[in-house]
Amino acid sequence: MIAGPIALILLPLIMAGIVLIFSRWRSFTALLSTGTALVLGIAILTIPQEQPIRVWGELYVMPGAPVSLLGRELVLESNDRPAFAVLFLTSALIFFMAWRSPSRSLLIPVGWGLLSLSAGILLIQPFVYAALFLEIAVVLSIFMLQSEEGPVTRGGMRYLTFSTMALPGLLVTHWLLERYAATPDETELLSTSATLLALSFALMLGVIPFHSWIPAVFGDSPPLAGAFILTVLGNTIWFLLLEFLKAYSWLSSHPSSGSITLTVGLILALVGGTFAAAQRRLSPLVGYGALLENGMMFVALGMRNQTGLALLFLALVTRPLGLGLMALGLDGIRAHSDGRDDLEALRGAGWKAPWSTLAFAFGGLSVAGLPLGAGFAWRWLIYRTLAGSDPGTMVLLLLTSAGIAVGLWRGVAHLLERPRLAEARSVFPQVLREGRLFAFTVLVASLLCIGASVYPQLLTPLIARMVDACALFR
Amino acid sequence: MPTLPELVARLSFLAAIPAVAGILITANILVVSREWRLNVLALIVQYFFAIMLMTRLIRLEVAAIKGLIGWMSCMIFYLTERRGAELTRAAQPGAGEQDNPTSEQRRWRRWTALSRAAFYLLAGLLVSVVAYMATLRFPLPEEVIPPDITLACYLMVGLGLLLIGLSESPLQVGVGLLTFLLGFDLFYVAIEQSLVVVGLIGAVNLLIALAASFLRIAEFTAESQRAGGVR
Repeated sequence: MIAGPIALILLPLIMAGIVLIFSRWRSFTALLSTGTALVLGIAILTIPQEQPIRVWGELYVMPGAPVSLLGRELVLESNDRPAFAVLFLTSALIFFMAWRSPSRSLLIPVGWGLLSLSAGILLIQPFVYAALFLEIAVVLSIFMLQSEEGPVTRGGMRYLTFSTMALPGLLVTHWLLERYAATPDETELLSTSATLLALSFALMLGVIPFHSWIPAVFGDSPPLAGAFILTVLGNTIWFLLLEFLKAYSWLSSHPSSGSITLTVGLILALVGGTFAAAQRRLSPLVGYGALLENGMMFVALGMRNQTGLALLFLALVTRPLGLGLMALGLDGIRAHSDGRDDLEALRGAGWKAPWSTLAFAFGGLSVAGLPLGAGFAWRWLIYRTLAGSDPGTMVLLLLTSAGIAVGLWRGVAHLLERPRLAEARSVFPQVLREGRLFAFTVLVASLLCIGASVYPQLLTPLIARMVDACALFR
Repeated sequence: MPTLPELVARLSFLAAIPAVAGILITANILVVSREWRLNVLALIVQYFFAIMLMTRLIRLEVAAIKGLIGWMSCMIFYLTERRGAELTRAAQPGAGEQDNPTSEQRRWRRWTALSRAAFYLLAGLLVSVVAYMATLRFPLPEEVIPPDITLACYLMVGLGLLLIGLSESPLQVGVGLLTFLLGFDLFYVAIEQSLVVVGLIGAVNLLIALAASFLRIAEFTAESQRAGGVR
C-alpha cells in the first residue's frame, strides 16, 4: 500500500523521468503530462480520504494514510487537497499550452520535478524543511527558464538570487520562534521573526523593490516557463504564506498587518500598472501585468476577512489562464518576428501570427481584469468590496488596471497595423500558417478563459472548500 | 599518515582570527578578480577557512562533509570553465593571432581593467568595514556563536551579496551565492545541527553550482555560435 503523500511526491518524479526519456516526442510528452496532471488534479479533489484506490494488482494507494519521511510524519489531510488540486490543474494547463509553443526548454520534465517538490513543501512540517525544498525548487527552475537556443536567462538568475536571499530569513524565523516558545517574555523575538518572515516572502513573491526578476523572466526565458514559475511555484509560495499565517496566528491578528499588506498590494499594483503603460516591449508588459495581479492579491489578503480570502483563492485559480495565454501568445509572436518583441519590430506582425495575437489579447484582457478575461470576476469583486469601505483605493486600483489596458492596447494596435502590401492584409492565408494544432490550443485556452469570466460560479465549490480549509480570519 | 582529526588538531591555530583574515582576503579576491582560475582557487581556500571555523561549532565529520560539498562545487566551476574555454577555442581557431591590438588599445584595456579592479576593491573594503561595524553593533547571540565567527559570517554574507550585485555573469553570481550561503551556514550550523538539514543545505549548494555551470555553458555556446556566425 502506498500512502497518499508518498504518491503525491513520487508520481510527479516518475513522470519527470518518463517525459525526460521521451522528450524527443514533444506531442507525446506534452499530452501525456497534460492528461496525467489533469487526472491527478481531479482525483485529489474527488477521491474520498479513507478509501483505498487500487492502482495495479495488489498495489493500493491510501490517500489519508500517514507516512514518515526524513524523520517527519506526512499526512495528506482533506483540508490540504484543494491546494494540491489547484497546483496539478494549473500544471495541466501550462503543459497543454507547451504542446505547441515554439520555444524549446526543459519545461515539462522540470515542471514535474517542481510539482513533486511543491507537494513536499506543502506536506512537510516543520517549515525549515519546506523552506529548503522551496530553495531546491527555485534552483531547479533555472533549468526550465534557460531556453535551448536563447541567451542566458538574466531573469532566472535574479529569481535565484532573490529566492536564495530569502532562505536565511525563513530558517532563522523558525529558530527564533522556538526560542520565543522557551522564553515567552522576550517579545522582541516575535518582532524580529515577523520582520524576517515579511522580508523573506517579499523577496520570494517579487514585492517592490525585489521585483526586477518578474519582467526580466519573460524577456529572456521561454515565456511559458516564466508563467509556470509565477503560477505553480508562485501559488505554492502563497499557500505556504497562508500556512504560516495560520500556524502563527499572532502574525495575522496583529493590528497593523492588514494595513501593511494593503499598502504593499497597492504599491505593487501602482508600479505594475504605471510601468506596463509605458512599456515599448511586450515581454515586460506580461511581467508588469503579473506584478499588478500580485498587488491585487495582496490587497485581497489585506482585507483580513473571508471575502478577501475567497478573492485571493479565486485569483490563484484563475490567473494561470491569463498569464498562460499571454505567455503563449508572446512566444508565438516572437517566433514570427525573429525573436524580437519591441513594438517597432511588431508593426503588422499580428497579420502573420493571428492566433498568437488572439492568445496575447485574451490573456491581456484577463490580466487587465476586463470582461471576457478570467481575471474579470475576482477583480470586479475586489472593486465592489472596496467601493463601500475604501473608495480611494478602489479608484487607484481601477487606474492601475487601466495602465495594463493601455499597454495592451498599444501592443495590439502595433500588431494589427495594416501591412503595405495588399496581399499581406488578408488574414485568411495566414490563419493556418501557425498550424491547426496551435490554433486548437489557443481556442481551448481562450474558451476556458471566457468560461471562467462568464461562469465564475462554477468555481464556487472549490473556492468555498479552500476558504474552509484555510481557517483564517474567522 | 595522519588522520583527519590529527590534521585538524595540527591546524587548529588557524581556526580563529587567522581564518577570519583568510576569509576577508579570499572574499575580496572573489569580488575584485575576473580571472576564473584565481576565483576558483580563492573559493577553495575560503571553504577551507570556513570549515576550520565550523570545527569549533559542530562535529568534525559534519564540517568535513560541508567542506567536501564546497570543494565539489569548486570542481564543477573549474570543469565548466575548462569546457567553455575549449568551446571558445573550437569556435574561433586562431583567435589569438587575429586579436592583435595596437599599443594604444592595450593601454586602454589595461587602464579600464585597473580602474574596474580599483573600484571593486574599494567597494569590497567598504563592505568589509560595514561587516566589522555590524559585528560590533548587531552581534549574533554570544552563547551560540563567538564574535570572531560572527565577523566571518557578516563578511561572507556582505561580500557575497556585493559579488552578486556587481556582475550578471553566471559564474560570478554562482560564486557570490555560494559565498553568501556559506556565511549564513557558518551561523546556522551552530543553531540547527540536524543531519537532514545539513544534507539539504548541501544539496542546495551543489544545485546552485550546477545551475550556474549550466547557464555558463549556455553562455559559452551562445558566444561560440555568434563567433561562428561572424566568421
